[in-house]
Amino acid sequence: MAAEPGLDNRGSTLLEVVIAFGVFSAALLMLAQLFGMATRSNRVAREVTYAAALAAQKMEQLRGGLWAYDSAGGQLTDTSSDFSCVPEQPSGGTGLLPSPSSALTENTPGFVDYLDESGRWVGTGEAPPSGAAYVRRWSIEPLPSDPADSIVLQVLVISLAGAANAGSDIAGVERGAARLVGARTRRMR
Amino acid sequence: MRADTGFSLVELLLASAIGLLLVSATLVLTSQAEGTFQAQPDAADMQQRLRVAVETVTRDLMMAGAGLDVGAAAGPLNRFFAPVLPYRIGAWQPAEPGSFDTRAISIIFVPHGAPHTTTMDSLVGATGDVRIRLGAGCPVTDTLCGFREGMGVVVFDDSGAHDVFTVRAVAAQTLSLELRGTQLSRAYGAGAHIAQVSVDTYYLKSDPPSGAFQLAHYDGFRSDLPVTDQVVDLGFEYYGEPRPPTLLRSLGEADGPWTTYGPRPPEAEVDDPRDTWPAGENCVFALVAGSHVPRLADLSLGGDGLVRLDPASLRDGPWCPDAGVPGRFDADLLRVRKVAVTMRVQVASSALRGPAGVLFARGGISKGGERFVPDQEIRFDVTPRNLNLGR
Repeated sequence: MAAEPGLDNRGSTLLEVVIAFGVFSAALLMLAQLFGMATRSNRVAREVTYAAALAAQKMEQLRGGLWAYDSAGGQLTDTSSDFSCVPEQPSGGTGLLPSPSSALTENTPGFVDYLDESGRWVGTGEAPPSGAAYVRRWSIEPLPSDPADSIVLQVLVISLAGAANAGSDIAGVERGAARLVGARTRRMR
Repeated sequence: MRADTGFSLVELLLASAIGLLLVSATLVLTSQAEGTFQAQPDAADMQQRLRVAVETVTRDLMMAGAGLDVGAAAGPLNRFFAPVLPYRIGAWQPAEPGSFDTRAISIIFVPHGAPHTTTMDSLVGATGDVRIRLGAGCPVTDTLCGFREGMGVVVFDDSGAHDVFTVRAVAAQTLSLELRGTQLSRAYGAGAHIAQVSVDTYYLKSDPPSGAFQLAHYDGFRSDLPVTDQVVDLGFEYYGEPRPPTLLRSLGEADGPWTTYGPRPPEAEVDDPRDTWPAGENCVFALVAGSHVPRLADLSLGGDGLVRLDPASLRDGPWCPDAGVPGRFDADLLRVRKVAVTMRVQVASSALRGPAGVLFARGGISKGGERFVPDQEIRFDVTPRNLNLGR
């Protein structure tokens, strides 16, 4: 029997099938990436939350240092606390004395510490110990207009995982990073 | 023409191999997608709960010890009594004074701009009417000094005693007060300070049989409500001023502050007949050879940095106002300058939690993979601003 006009009874060639499957798997692959993105955005949200909380924690530590006047009007300054530990140690550090100018840009012993994924303190020093997930740096600078009695405190927390993927950042915003700025002025005790 | 030849065996094998590969890939993806859809919203929810819990506790803790704005008693509350306590306080099921519960904290402060003044009558029982002085802490045109029915107020004096009352009724310049609790700490003479107050207890509410774990808030009176669910651990540590309190000026002067912290002692020959301390002494100052010396130890280790306050030192006395007072507190609590909080939250669904251990406080039935969302723990510090004015 002759074939009906307009009806092609030949099947697909292997090549056609392979191409079709190729297109289909490419679509699947893109779909799979979507789930990865969902997971990743949650992880970034988590990093940002932790970075903010960890920055606040250091700020609170620095606010606990002695920076006041005594009853006779003399200056009282914490010069001994070691803030690079959690909890801070009452001796072994430089307290609220000014930090080196590079304290926020590089890991400066005494003005840096490292924390793990859960925000637990894992160490201090120039290089992050194993298990570190966040680097926390801070600076203490005299306020230019009132250098004797006011200090500016800055805390910067960087997520090491976030910094590794920093390429795809929105302009100027470091992924998983948090920065806090505060000031303290002496008051009468 | 029609070609009647079928597929060759090679073609068939190849085609089915590709087909199977594709089906298996789809299945893997579907299972992963299902896990992701289940786990990620819960993970986001957990983070949100952690954030809310941290913010709620931080907000109130930051205010701890805020006192009166103006007048002779202006300044932080820790010049009178301990505004941060490591146990539940209030009218309903309060903890034994002087106990220590690492999973609970109570915070007392006078809200910013709240009315405060002094009393003109003594207050001797759990209920009573007192007239109030319309002074500097009152809104100018208000004959009630801003106090309203239903408001919570704290009454305190120089001895370290303090009690929280509800304003039951108001009439011109007179407040009818009712104690929140059962026993008045002590009778207050005329001239005691009275101020609107905020009392907040945060604690871990756990009920393992039902699996309910919550961060809860009690307002010291009638409201005892959960703040966030699935908080599986909560811990508070206290850091304090290492130096003992000192006197700042002569006790005879009319305006304070007289001490760096803690209630001021009576003058050397004067005895407060209501307490058990000898003449000239109170819970933070003793009298040695006619001069006041602090009763609290010097904890400084060669510096002025804050030191961790050992829980044992917060429940061993000396007691303020003295050991026999119902609302007593350990004088070392007056040292508190910083609180470290540890908080841990978990995902709600046990299908997303693995076996109990480091990652999970409470085990679940997850076998790993996409459906595996470990607990999140965070430690944060709060340095209450008003307790650190002199630091």
